[in-house]
Amino acid sequence: MELFLQFCINGLMLGMMYALVAVGFTLFFGVLDVIVFSHGDTVMIGAFGGLSMYWWLGAVYPGLSLTWTVLWVFLAAALAVTVVGTLVARFLIMPLRKAPPLNTLLATMMLGTVLREAIRLFFPDGSNPKPFPHLLPEWSWQSGSLTLRFDNALLFLSGAVMIVLVHLLITRTRLGMAIRAVAQDEEAAQLMGVNFTMIVLATFALGSVVAAFAGVMNGLYYNEINFGMGLLLGAIGFSAAVIGGLGNIYGAILGGFIFAFLQTLGAVALPFASAYKDVFAFGSVIALMAVRPTGLIAEPSSQRV
Amino acid sequence: MRHHPSRDLIIPGPAGCVLMATALLAWSILFLKAEEQIPILVYMISGSLLVLVAALSDLHKSISATISSNESSWDKCMTLTLLALILIFHDDHYTLFLLGTIMVYATAVLGLNVQLGYTGVINFSAASFFGIGSYTAAMSSAAGLPSLPALLLGGIVAALVGCVLLLPVLRTSGHYAALVTMAFALLFRVFLEVNEWFGGPQGIAVAPLTLFGLDFSQDMQLWGIEFSFYVKYDLACLLLLVLAFGFVRRLERSWLGLSMDAVRCDETAGACFGVDIARWKITAFTVGNLLSGLAGALYAMMLAYISPANFAFPDSLLFLSILLLGGMGNNWGVILATVFVVVIPEKFQVIQEYRYLIYAALVLFMILYRPMGLLPRKARNYGRLS
Amino acid sequence: MSVLLSCTGLTMRFGGLTALDSLDMAVEEGDVLGLVGPNGSGKTTFFNVATGIYRPSSGKVLFQDEDITAKSPQEIYRMGIARTFQRSRLCLDLTVFDNIMIGNHKNLDFGIIHNLFKRRSFMAEYEDNLEKARSMLHALNPALAKRIHQPVGLLNMIDRRRVEVCRALVSKPKLLFLDEPSAGMTHDETRRLMDEVLAFSRADEKFTLVLIEHEMEVIRRTTNRCIVLNFGRKLCEGDYESVTADPFVQEAYLGTDL
Repeated sequence: MELFLQFCINGLMLGMMYALVAVGFTLFFGVLDVIVFSHGDTVMIGAFGGLSMYWWLGAVYPGLSLTWTVLWVFLAAALAVTVVGTLVARFLIMPLRKAPPLNTLLATMMLGTVLREAIRLFFPDGSNPKPFPHLLPEWSWQSGSLTLRFDNALLFLSGAVMIVLVHLLITRTRLGMAIRAVAQDEEAAQLMGVNFTMIVLATFALGSVVAAFAGVMNGLYYNEINFGMGLLLGAIGFSAAVIGGLGNIYGAILGGFIFAFLQTLGAVALPFASAYKDVFAFGSVIALMAVRPTGLIAEPSSQRV
Repeated sequence: MRHHPSRDLIIPGPAGCVLMATALLAWSILFLKAEEQIPILVYMISGSLLVLVAALSDLHKSISATISSNESSWDKCMTLTLLALILIFHDDHYTLFLLGTIMVYATAVLGLNVQLGYTGVINFSAASFFGIGSYTAAMSSAAGLPSLPALLLGGIVAALVGCVLLLPVLRTSGHYAALVTMAFALLFRVFLEVNEWFGGPQGIAVAPLTLFGLDFSQDMQLWGIEFSFYVKYDLACLLLLVLAFGFVRRLERSWLGLSMDAVRCDETAGACFGVDIARWKITAFTVGNLLSGLAGALYAMMLAYISPANFAFPDSLLFLSILLLGGMGNNWGVILATVFVVVIPEKFQVIQEYRYLIYAALVLFMILYRPMGLLPRKARNYGRLS
Repeated sequence: MSVLLSCTGLTMRFGGLTALDSLDMAVEEGDVLGLVGPNGSGKTTFFNVATGIYRPSSGKVLFQDEDITAKSPQEIYRMGIARTFQRSRLCLDLTVFDNIMIGNHKNLDFGIIHNLFKRRSFMAEYEDNLEKARSMLHALNPALAKRIHQPVGLLNMIDRRRVEVCRALVSKPKLLFLDEPSAGMTHDETRRLMDEVLAFSRADEKFTLVLIEHEMEVIRRTTNRCIVLNFGRKLCEGDYESVTADPFVQEAYLGTDL
């Protein structure tokens, strides 16, 4: 029972991370109808941006309080990723808007490779995994074999807060209204005076900030980051967004938790070695696509003939 | 009639093909023989300049006119050029392996071309099917199956495993379809790594090809000349490539290829004219996987040792890049792009470390500025018997 | 004259929207029937249901007394219904000939041996079809016949429409649906195209045509009967004069100034 609870807790942590990544995929799909596959690598850039900031702070302001360090690390990650994200949107995604969807998908995959390789080749000793500092208080609550770590709880809660903030931004603000307008009908929104380019860039900035958060969260949770972490994370985020039904933010969050659930299930509950958990999770995704070809919460499709 | 000065530069007819093939052969020999970085760079730059001049002037038009009006001579010239390269480098293991790799990769990408270039079936797991062929060949020859059946089984098993994916591939479209094959590619790699039976992450040894008592893994002496064992493999690769190329090209020049195009262009309109969408998608997906699997099986035997790292998701992306670089749907483009992608980083060691970065940036650039690829596909020409 | 195609109680709902609302109508053999009505009145939806792209929410479609409601587009095409599309849906990177041959699907031999290995017999079949396509194009526009091996993307709008018409007619359908042939063309081009299509239809007594068109002039010149749709229902039917004289039609569709 305790083991089961422990797995549930770990699964929830993973789910939160995946959900944060998936939200980016689905936001971008909403406004531009494209899959930005490099989003996973954007998350990785966020983690490396945060790490650089930590190193820099350590060199310049040794003895800075933990709270400030954490804030600066998050800020640096968010800034790095926002810059990368908006540049990508402006100079890669927007010019490819009229291209066949496959070309855009391939282009963003190639971009992901460029980002990955750039970190591997040009970040100091980039090809080896980097330890990520413990920045959160390491209290924990123990009950038998069950451990509830305070830092993880904090990460989970702030992830939830992040999602709520995104939700509020999308539903309650003028910016959110413009994003929804563009997602629904780009031309009509432009006719109503929405600045399309600005909205696209703002959406990418928003998705990027969420991704940066996920990246730092990933580093804090595993205490290690590497240049290749974005590939799998991106594939999982994409899977989660697709499971939930592209373009639907709540679907993406649901999809993230479903993927984490599948992995956890594959690791503990099924009669094969836990190493097969990804095989099981991705296999389930394929099976799910056969049953629900447009995701669980289907995107409203209407084909004009 | 207006005078076209550039048309005179190329001798028309079969002689033109021979001339071009000879020039290509001479350049390839120089390039492949070169070992110092400077001459390699010089050959590369001079070659690219020549190509650039041809592309910017009218020269490329007369070249392609000569080629397309003398197709069977051109086919023979190209086959002979490859054959000549194999014989000229008869004792150079490294170059021969490079040539073999090119031919095997090109075969696999021709399969991908049937899927994506002709029919528009997205496949982000081409390297996985290549890998299924490899592992099938390894496992079945380890189980005592003779080489040739093991080779064929590689293709068949790849096609059969592909059938498992058919239902989701047929039911989904666009990004959803992309996800299905992508998930398969990731799953496949993890599966190989955790499965002890397939040798785990270290991989597994593969028995060499043995045909009619001839062991392909032994060097041999003929008329007092030393021949590397790779010569035999290269000849097998060449045979496979020629067969695959002929098959894929005939497919294009038939009603089958036309129906595949109809599926790619517009499924709804096609359906209204009786095109059975599922039938052609299944055909293309299976044929493509079969070719990838066969190529993979032969590659595994040539390599003698395979591991999961050879068949990861980035390798599938590499196959896709080759197709896109060469020109979606164009079979000659596939071969040209395979040569570029395989040879350049191998010969030009300076960029070896940076090759993935360079490929990725190059493909990005192509998608943005020349989405049709180096050799854009031409309008279908049924008009030849071959 | 016998009834070729009929539908009874045909209803098509998309979520909350009812595109066809228990529509009853019949097309008789040899008809040139105009289907008119304001945007969103269900004309194209009717084509899509009748050609099997959509499954209707309820109701039945009969073609030559056979129920085709649940049949696939492919089966319906084989029974002899062909169509064109509102937005021309040709494959722009394929040649004129290729596009026409897609329409000839049911007459082509798809045997693998025939296509891949017995190339001589395949080439003979190819030459026959090339001749057929060429003569069809020649009847429409001799200049177009010379461009048979060019990609459709290089053609202008009227030639593209011509290729579309050839694609629909090459399999000698019993019934042809034309969805807004005038879209994207000038009056003069539309007139020429329609004359060409009618010339085809006059060659065969039984050839039947259903035409969606906004340009009432085209309807007046070409059709012998019209059906007016509004909100997915049949408003009225009859010849051009009687339909345009109907006060409901004037109000719903033509406006008051006609």
